[in-house]
Amino acid sequence: MQTNIMDNRTLIIGLGNTILSDDGAGILVAREIKKRRNGLKSIDIVEASLGGIGLIDLMADYNTVIIVDSIKTENGNPGTFYKLNINDLGDTAYPCSSHLLDLRTTIELGKKMGYNMPESIDIYAIEIRENTTFSESLSPEVEKAIPELAKKIVEELILI
Amino acid sequence: MGNKITVNPITRLEGHGKIDIFLNENGDVEDAYLQVTELRGFERFCIGRPAEEMPRIVPNICGVCPTPHNMASTKALDSIYGVTPTPAAKLVRTLQYNANFIEDHYIHFFFLAAPDFVVGPEANPVERNILGVINKVGLDIGKRVIDIRRRTRDIIKLIASKPSHPEGGLPGGVPRGIKQEERKTIIETADLCVEFAQFALQLFKDVVLKNKDYLDLILSDVYNLKTYYMALVDENKKVNFYEGKLRVIDPNGKEVSFFHPNDYTEYIGEWVEPWTYVRLTYLRKIGWKGLIEGDDTSLYRVGPLARFNVSEGMATPLAQKEYEQMVSTLGKPAHHTLAYHWARLIEALQAAEDLQRISIDPLLTSTDIRNMNFQFTGKGIGCVEACRGTLIHHYETDNEGLITKVNMIVATQQNAAPIGLSVKKAAQRFIKGGEVREGLLNMAEMAFRAYDPCLGCATHTIHGKMPLVIDVHDHTGNVIKTVSRGA
Repeated sequence: MQTNIMDNRTLIIGLGNTILSDDGAGILVAREIKKRRNGLKSIDIVEASLGGIGLIDLMADYNTVIIVDSIKTENGNPGTFYKLNINDLGDTAYPCSSHLLDLRTTIELGKKMGYNMPESIDIYAIEIRENTTFSESLSPEVEKAIPELAKKIVEELILI
Repeated sequence: MGNKITVNPITRLEGHGKIDIFLNENGDVEDAYLQVTELRGFERFCIGRPAEEMPRIVPNICGVCPTPHNMASTKALDSIYGVTPTPAAKLVRTLQYNANFIEDHYIHFFFLAAPDFVVGPEANPVERNILGVINKVGLDIGKRVIDIRRRTRDIIKLIASKPSHPEGGLPGGVPRGIKQEERKTIIETADLCVEFAQFALQLFKDVVLKNKDYLDLILSDVYNLKTYYMALVDENKKVNFYEGKLRVIDPNGKEVSFFHPNDYTEYIGEWVEPWTYVRLTYLRKIGWKGLIEGDDTSLYRVGPLARFNVSEGMATPLAQKEYEQMVSTLGKPAHHTLAYHWARLIEALQAAEDLQRISIDPLLTSTDIRNMNFQFTGKGIGCVEACRGTLIHHYETDNEGLITKVNMIVATQQNAAPIGLSVKKAAQRFIKGGEVREGLLNMAEMAFRAYDPCLGCATHTIHGKMPLVIDVHDHTGNVIKTVSRGA
């Protein structure tokens, strides 16, 4: 167990924008994990507000990456969280937003470029209510979900 | 023309990167609108904060163009505190800014634009991406793009700590200068950037301009939009990204306005239409004329093509030669929307050459990097050219320097109405008598991508879906077809 942890470089990336209401939920989960990280010596935790190939820089040379982000699905209940695997995401798509690549394309590109991309990538997503109004406040449901998701992720990491 | 269509107000509720196309009673295209989810409440968020916090807050507006927001904000602070940066500080700022231009333009060109041409607009969508480009032109090019990006971000990091969230932004100067031992790496990066810029332009000429089908596409009326243009120019009316005066030309190339950014409210009006939250911009002296192109329009475009049209040349020698070739091919002003890509590559060359100039300037390593002689004014307007177009930050404060007013005019806001018109023209080609032909999404996307628009909420990647969705409405406003890709 100890050997596995030491050999397995793990990165947690909290994605989002903390001044855009619930959009920063992923970052806040990452901060919460940081508070609970005793015993997780080989875990690195970063906050990021970028996508596309910016993520390649962050993920290269890690064995395992956990991405925590917010999500807004049709009819989703704010505060719900999901665990997704990279294969749960859609096929490689052509982005229209500036400079963005979907995550699968990002991974494929990193490998093609010769980067050491992670073997394992898991995505935790929190359903949010609001991400188009500038505010440092969270929706109550999302605020409540953050420590719960952080706890769940820490527990799963300990079990590795 | 058919009866006027009542625009369905429900469209206001729908999400980002969406286009609504409205048909008339004959089933032909009457109008098309770009829906952008505008981020709300920024002004309220800022009120009461110390003005000097703004350069650190504004990069959070957008995950895609943090450096331009940081720079426009810093320039607004210069004005609020009534201070001029030292010559060395200006060099360092311009160094950072050029690095950002190079990085940003290449990411856009190779990841978003090149697939349209190198892989082709008719290619399988699954292949029409950066991976498809690499398969076609070779892995080496992809690696060079990544390397250039890393080197230019290293320069930004050197000055502003984090490329994705630039810090610093001090009125009257920069947070740190450049050391002599850092100069060597900067010179190397600049030289590589000039070399790569020339390569990229040659690739564009070989793959795009020498291909009759693609050249015809660029020249076609579908992608032609006759508007006014606005951009910053220097004292010689050459392209400048960091400073200057704003010049406006009419659809026939005649200068109609030439003003200091501080006077922007006299020249730029903001208009609200019921179908969108975006405040559309127009030329105030003409007045709002609606969503029309041609000699009677009051709409203007910003960004690389606008800078090409508005200026009287590029500010650096190699870029100037490329500019001249573009003029001889397209004429001036050029209204060809797909030519935004060509202009973009020429700009990357100017930024690279300017980087070279700065890298060998003795003043770059001066320690005189901050002017602290403040003459507080309480009002500041900072204007720069962002990669995707003119960006204006306007702040006002109380006597204690706390923010009382914020207004921002961003590039995609200024291009929003023209984007709708560009998409409309593409749609008119593919929708007749209510029948939506294959190819609509591809052609609309090409028009859309040429502007390199920046959509709010653009920092998420896990959805893995196309953000652009097209709803086609019949003459009563009902959606008769939704065109999208992915889920």
